[in-house]
Amino acid sequence: MAKTATSTESSVKENIYPYYLPGKIPDNLVERFLEAFATVLQFTDYRQLLDTYCATSAKCNRCSVACPVYLASGDPRDIPCYRTNLLLEVYKRYFTISGWFKSRLSSRFDLTEEIVNEMAVAFYRCTACRRCTMECPLGIEHSLLTRLGRYILSLIGISSKALQVSVDEQLEGETHNTSKIPKVALLDTLEFLTEELEESFGIKMEYPVDQYDREFVFFAAVSDYLMEPETLMGNAAVIYAAGDWDKWTIGTGNYDGINYGLFYSDWYLENIVKQLVSEVDRLRGKKILIGECGHASRSAHDFVPIFLKQDAYPVINCMEYALDCLEKGKIKLNSDIITERVTYHDPCNIARSGWIVDQPRKILKSFVKDFVEMEPHGINNYCCGGGGGLVSIDEIHDFRMDIGGKVKAEQIRQTGAEILISPCANCKKQLKELVEHYELPCKVMGLHDLILKAIEIPGGKSPQERKEEAALYEM
Amino acid sequence: MEQWIEFAKGPLFTLTFLIMVLGLLRLIIPQVYLLFIRKRDVLRDVKWSKIIKDTLSWIIPIKHFISGTRLFSLASYIMHIGVIIVPICIIDHIVLWEKFFNINLPSIGQGLADYLTLITIACLLILLGCRTFKKHQRAMSGFMDYFLLIMVILPFASGYLASHPNYNPFPWDVMMLTHLLSAELLFVLIPFSKLAHIILFNFDRTSGVHWQLRPGAGDKIAEALFGKGVKI
Ligand code: HEM
Ligand code: SF4
Repeated sequence: MAKTATSTESSVKENIYPYYLPGKIPDNLVERFLEAFATVLQFTDYRQLLDTYCATSAKCNRCSVACPVYLASGDPRDIPCYRTNLLLEVYKRYFTISGWFKSRLSSRFDLTEEIVNEMAVAFYRCTACRRCTMECPLGIEHSLLTRLGRYILSLIGISSKALQVSVDEQLEGETHNTSKIPKVALLDTLEFLTEELEESFGIKMEYPVDQYDREFVFFAAVSDYLMEPETLMGNAAVIYAAGDWDKWTIGTGNYDGINYGLFYSDWYLENIVKQLVSEVDRLRGKKILIGECGHASRSAHDFVPIFLKQDAYPVINCMEYALDCLEKGKIKLNSDIITERVTYHDPCNIARSGWIVDQPRKILKSFVKDFVEMEPHGINNYCCGGGGGLVSIDEIHDFRMDIGGKVKAEQIRQTGAEILISPCANCKKQLKELVEHYELPCKVMGLHDLILKAIEIPGGKSPQERKEEAALYEM
Repeated sequence: MEQWIEFAKGPLFTLTFLIMVLGLLRLIIPQVYLLFIRKRDVLRDVKWSKIIKDTLSWIIPIKHFISGTRLFSLASYIMHIGVIIVPICIIDHIVLWEKFFNINLPSIGQGLADYLTLITIACLLILLGCRTFKKHQRAMSGFMDYFLLIMVILPFASGYLASHPNYNPFPWDVMMLTHLLSAELLFVLIPFSKLAHIILFNFDRTSGVHWQLRPGAGDKIAEALFGKGVKI
């Protein structure tokens, strides 16, 4: 146990937070919080960021109207700037000279256990969607501070058990993935997917496993192997139709793209990124291909270069790949298959930076007849309400439904769509729950699920045939 | 009174102006050092085009004119035009610029200056009102947030009254002294309050640089807190 102080005892009883802790609430919270904070400042570059934010934060409140959590809850404690300020106050008081002086003059502010507890609650009410930053005239990135706050808390044993168990399994467990899927189960699943594809297309597409020297090493959010077979079949169908079948592989050493370190810990973030890269090293792959998952894509795309520097592999999201195939004419999508009204939810992690906004829309518009946008969308989208790892925390289900996802649900309702596309494992889980909770008349799917229905593979059954067969099957 | 005004115009002005300049340097030097020297290696990897585009989008922030903050944003925007242009380009100050720094600046006419000053004061009052009467704004406002607004209003209001004897119920020299002293207090406050955004605002936008985490930092933190040799 290196990175976070945890003990194995269950903490359910003593817990005062809305989520379960990996262990017990530690003693002398205040001292340990300050010690952890000081250590983080010593070895990282966060100090400059904190200095700047302390000096300038204008409390102008524009961020409040951008934040879906505040919009739904109306609780001033959910204002992004308020939350950020919790951490800034501690920093000012204990880690700056002027704060030290002020504390001599008057004891205006002292860190107390209540404040640590308040932070522990507040930082897990932010979905880290980064929408507030877009509306901050100064450009203060609240999610970065939320993340820093969570990191410091995790160092004293306060983090979400759900996230912690997952990352521990990923780095130290036998299966090296967050869903604890052992290698045999993976192989079984792939075999099953192959059979399904064969049944549907009449073509045998055997998923390539542990092949060396391939161009792409594929990492899905590992939960897809349990919950989203159609997305994975869609991925395979695109690659097969494009004639790239001998260019990709799945590694059995590590097949999980998930990286919860992105949400709360620099240590986990870095080590999970490195574990992913070592699998590509082992297979002598050239590029990292990430499946439909927002945070997996972002953590690889942004952090492989940061942690691996010149040894970094290019990271490609499967939608970029699919669009490339479409534009080069390597795949064909039949535009008569999808007749329902379709809308698209942008996963914050890939959309906010502007990285993946147009690609899925180009793909969708090429074969979907009735495509409608939500307002706002693209880099301005609203979070599904399960971002920042919250979707994995079942204990806060009610928060995610009634507050986190409220604005999103209304947005979806407005579109009148029958199919809601969301190319992200986390968003999909949250949106499926939202649709049920708010009784929205639509079906949540991945982009590749839809592609799977409409793709034409030469020598295989046509999309119409497949549609008819599926209809029969459903009856 | 006469001597007091002379004192405020002379030595006190120089002193407070110097405090402001040095105070701002104290803030800006570490920023530049950290950004361009300590983080030099990662600067290449930062998406500067996005940072610049974002920053520029705030010069004319039409797309940020979103419901919920319209009044505040509009007032703030106009107020900023006022607080930047009026103190620099008003005819009475042009003389100062020339005297102290030997710079020749264009002046805005007296009429325009008057309007701008009044509009600026009105905007500042609106901001004050928003902070007082809007629930979510009040929740976020502390003493300094109100105090600074008043501190910005003071030099504008007193300056206006001093130059318009017709509307001024007080003796001229009282107003003049208020104008000088409040402006000078503002100089001193700038580097030590959120008004430091006057020069730091662009550094707030560099979060892209800060996402460039330092490789290996996580290991060192874990080692320092939990000891060496712990299994990873
Ligand atoms: C150099 C250019 C400047 C820039 C880019 C700038 C930018 C900003 C921004 C982004 C805010 C926060 C949000 C808002 O109120 O809309 C702000 C607030 C403020 N600025 Fe400036 N500013 C500048 C110069 C000044 C100057 C010269 C003054 C006057 C001394 C000033 C006084 C204020 C005040 C009093 C506030 C707080 C308003 C409030 O939140 O109640 N600013 N500024
Ligand atoms: S990151 Fe998203 S959820 Fe968090 S404070 Fe900002 S807008 Fe709200």
